[in-house]
Amino acid sequence: MRRIAAAALMAAAALAQVTWAPHFEVGGAFPNLVLLGVVGVTWTRGQRYGMAWACVGGLLLDLTASGPVGPHAIALLVGAYVIGFWTRDLQRPTAVHVVLTAVVGTILYSAVLVLSDGLLGLPVPQPGTAVWLAFTAAAYNALLMPFALDVIRRLQALTRSATEAT
Amino acid sequence: MYGAKRQSRPTGLFLVLCAAMLLLAMLSQQSWAAGARGAARSALAPAEQLMTAAASQVGRITSGFGDVSSLRAENARLRAADEALRREVVELNAAAKENAALRQALDFQKASGHHLVAAEVIGVGPDGFSRTVQVDRGTADGVRPGMVVVTGAGLLGRVSEAGPHAAVVQTLADPQSRVNVYLSSSNLQGTLSGGPTALQLELQHTLGVVASTGEWALTSGVGGGYPRGLVVGEVASVTRRDAATSDQAQVAWVNDPSSLSFVLVITDFQPS
Repeated sequence: MRRIAAAALMAAAALAQVTWAPHFEVGGAFPNLVLLGVVGVTWTRGQRYGMAWACVGGLLLDLTASGPVGPHAIALLVGAYVIGFWTRDLQRPTAVHVVLTAVVGTILYSAVLVLSDGLLGLPVPQPGTAVWLAFTAAAYNALLMPFALDVIRRLQALTRSATEAT
Repeated sequence: MYGAKRQSRPTGLFLVLCAAMLLLAMLSQQSWAAGARGAARSALAPAEQLMTAAASQVGRITSGFGDVSSLRAENARLRAADEALRREVVELNAAAKENAALRQALDFQKASGHHLVAAEVIGVGPDGFSRTVQVDRGTADGVRPGMVVVTGAGLLGRVSEAGPHAAVVQTLADPQSRVNVYLSSSNLQGTLSGGPTALQLELQHTLGVVASTGEWALTSGVGGGYPRGLVVGEVASVTRRDAATSDQAQVAWVNDPSSLSFVLVITDFQPS
């Protein structure tokens, strides 16, 4: 039940990212809903779950992008892996930590995506443009992260109660 | 409050997943995998189409309240109408100066003689780096990789990948896009390259001729990559470089990929 709900959530996030999110573009960047989902799952369920859903969400994004299937999955995977260490070692996590994980996750995701695109011979932006887009997206995602985490926690509570009821 | 479950450090799992994704990326990049990749993308297309339709429905509902999004949409519509009118003026002027072929571009669909396939935009690239749009027409509709894509305002880009019922269009904003253009008044020639905000134009120096802002950039047809006479954008700024053999200019593109609904694929122009 939980896995189906998580898969549905990730698919919805990926589809919303390529259809709705670009309407909210600011400075060339728009919200990365799949990344927010992966960071949220890493916070609530741990590093392994975060990495698993990074692969699922990343592959869905890759299927909506031009080029090979895999770069988005690798970029999200690295983000989930690094953030996973951070979240598990924190003694007293606060909302500031949550926001910072979104910032770090976005910058790691952007860096790995540009790097892997370059290695695979795909088009990459100029360094200045890439840095601008990465930091703008990081600020955007940081603003949305607390709300995204709240939604994920509520959905998890819902699926938990549904599972217990059955 | 935000604590995750304690668990063993999954570095092994991370490395295995990374290796698997890297292998998948390398394999899916091969030409023999293009069919499977296109089919997988086509499978997602109906869901994207539904989401896009839902987004436009939501937009219609919110427009009743006169909120920011409706004002923005109205602004975009008026701007598009303005761009179309200005394009018409530019093309009329260019046609008078140039040749009959450019005059035909006034009403592209009727007079160009090209066969066009109309396609609905169902999604855009998932990140800010790849400037692509996804459309709901594919190989089953005659759309093939390499075909030129336009809108009512002007040139949009080129089909980079095509599945049976969906295709990905690499727009001019993509960093790897290159288009040879000429300017409507000065007739200077140059090459446009992609960028997230404005297109960058490298103009060749010609003795006594200077590019100026407000001029329109149209495809020159040089190199055979695009048909001649498609409007690309308006020169927004020019940077003179006396020591160099070329000048730099920024071009405001006539298209905004995030607000596109329909595009036209030219199916009978073969890029050389």
